[in-house]
Amino acid sequence: MSIDSVTAALAPVEIDIRGLSKWFGAHQVLKEMSTEVRLGEAVVVIGPSGSGKTTFLRCINLLEQFEQGEIRIGGEAMGYLVDPQTGRRTRRTERDIARMRAQVGMVFQSFNLFPHMTALKNVALGPVRVNGMRRDEAEALAASLLARVGLADKVDAVPGQLSGGQQQRVAIARALAMRPKAILLDEVTSALDPELVGEVLDVMRQLVQDGMTMVIVTHEMAFARAFAHKVLFMADGELIEHGPPAQLFGDPKTARLQAFLKRFKEGYQL
Amino acid sequence: MPFDIALITRIVPALAEGLTLTLTLSALAIVLAAAWAIPVVLGLMSRFRPLSILTRGYIEAVRNTPVLVQMYFIFFGSAMAGFRLSGFTAGLIALVLQNGAYIAEIYRAGIQSVSRRQMEAGLAIGLTPGAAFRIVVLPQALRKVIPPLGNQGIVIIKDTALVATLSVAELTFQARMLADRTAAVYEIFFALALFYIAITSIFSALMRLVEWRMRVVQ
Amino acid sequence: MFDILIASFPLLMRGVWITLLLTGSGAIVATIFGVVIACAQLFGGIVLRIAAEAYLYIVRGVPLLVLLFAMYYALPYAGVDLDPMSGGALVIGLYFAAFMAEVFRGAILAVPNGQWEAGRTIGLRTPRIVTDIILPQALRVAGPPYINTVIMLVKGTSLVSIIGLADVTFVGRQIVERTLAPFEVFGGVAVIYFVICFALSRCGAYLERRTSYVH
Repeated sequence: MSIDSVTAALAPVEIDIRGLSKWFGAHQVLKEMSTEVRLGEAVVVIGPSGSGKTTFLRCINLLEQFEQGEIRIGGEAMGYLVDPQTGRRTRRTERDIARMRAQVGMVFQSFNLFPHMTALKNVALGPVRVNGMRRDEAEALAASLLARVGLADKVDAVPGQLSGGQQQRVAIARALAMRPKAILLDEVTSALDPELVGEVLDVMRQLVQDGMTMVIVTHEMAFARAFAHKVLFMADGELIEHGPPAQLFGDPKTARLQAFLKRFKEGYQL
Repeated sequence: MPFDIALITRIVPALAEGLTLTLTLSALAIVLAAAWAIPVVLGLMSRFRPLSILTRGYIEAVRNTPVLVQMYFIFFGSAMAGFRLSGFTAGLIALVLQNGAYIAEIYRAGIQSVSRRQMEAGLAIGLTPGAAFRIVVLPQALRKVIPPLGNQGIVIIKDTALVATLSVAELTFQARMLADRTAAVYEIFFALALFYIAITSIFSALMRLVEWRMRVVQ
Repeated sequence: MFDILIASFPLLMRGVWITLLLTGSGAIVATIFGVVIACAQLFGGIVLRIAAEAYLYIVRGVPLLVLLFAMYYALPYAGVDLDPMSGGALVIGLYFAAFMAEVFRGAILAVPNGQWEAGRTIGLRTPRIVTDIILPQALRVAGPPYINTVIMLVKGTSLVSIIGLADVTFVGRQIVERTLAPFEVFGGVAVIYFVICFALSRCGAYLERRTSYVH
């Protein structure tokens, strides 16, 4: 790891989450989650299926609404403003929400690349349409980002011509093109054939080492153990344990985490 | 725009004289077309190439020509050929030929949408191909064709209006007769539209009942 | 047998011209209104949505012939001086707009939800997402069913012959009443429609082949 843990503790808080709660009807899927993501930190969220990890991630850029709690990105309140005196919640304007979404990149499990555009145009679309960049500048930026993720020779390919791993790397470049404050990655390797997972994890490792602020939901425990600065363990919508990976993986405190890790360690033992 | 509601209560019974013919023609056309579509789809999916090509030709011919022209062809053609058919019969035959082709396609899509794996599962437990088709595929296909059949039924009901041009005294014909004689044209066609909306709505409701009974909506 | 057809050829062609004119103008009206209704259904508030649903319900339940008659008989009383041609095109267009709306709405809904989310994620607002991301994909999906609706429209134009517009069906009926050769003449008329519709369906098949490449 290249970030000094002392420096990490002094870095400003980029994403601040307080008391986040969400209900689907009568069922509470997120229970008062609170955590911080500092500048340059890579936070990995692990947990069993149905624990709410993806829902939690999607609240950060408001692809999911939440009923209680606050999310601040770079100090600014995301999605809802709470009047300090009356406690009344109002949803922010679509304009503000869109502006803040542009500051937080997201990479999806199912890539969601735009099938009718080349890789280059996929990546350049955001800078042109949202950041008002000139088309030639944006395309130059897109080309350099695609080179950074190892796809310099695929700039003119359409998604249909790319493998899953390549598509996901284009998706990462697309998120980077917006120069976001942080990137959210939602199980980005889960839909890939095993032999393609490595190329995507390589790009992610590079991002961590370049100091990108990231929140990663994943099942790739080895990656989390090696490269995360902080790990969050969720189950049933709650934050059960959190801390540096050495502590969570090496010395799990709660029974639930111990049981979860045991299942991973056991895996396929013939 | 003058609009007399009281007038409508007098128009409705006058129009209703055509109701029986509309309903009879609709019912007959629906039933006969659904029945005629069975040999058609068998011909379509037959392995005997000349038959399937012939059937495909019939379907394409009927789908790419207006049903009105088909009606004229049969009506005037039969008169010329010596066995003059009534407007009702000519219209019925045209409706059955036209919609039978569409319904055959609906059957085909329904059968093919039941996964090949279902057929294989049937064969794997030892059923003959015929039995596998009857016991495993057909019931599932039946459920799938009910909704599109309902839509086709509505198409048929609306197309019965065309036989008015062959002097069949159904709803639209009655309306036209009335409109030629009186000046209450808004009320007449408003009432006529209501009649058709009522018929198609009741038919749709009936189809939804059938779907529910057959548990199509899961 | 064919001499009657050959003799009537110029008359028939004039009828074909009217048919094509009606098809073209009807299709334009239907497309425009279809887009409007689909937008009302997808993006409109509750009032617009109810209005759109009501419109669709009525058009689905009433035969086109009844609407044509209504226009033919009722418009003169309303003092509207519309020539039969424009009136016919308008009624046909408004009728098939309902089918077009279904095609467009279905095409937009066919674009996967993930595309909307990806657009939001890079900070695009709804209008941009629709124009840059959703529409190009939706138009590809809409091609073949759009063509199918136009084919239905072509066949629907034959109904104007009943209210006296000189389309190819009307001309055919005139010729038959004169020459008493229903098989040849209506057969010829059928062939003319067949050629038009079949050509359109080939376009649709071509479009269908082209769209499968991207997805």
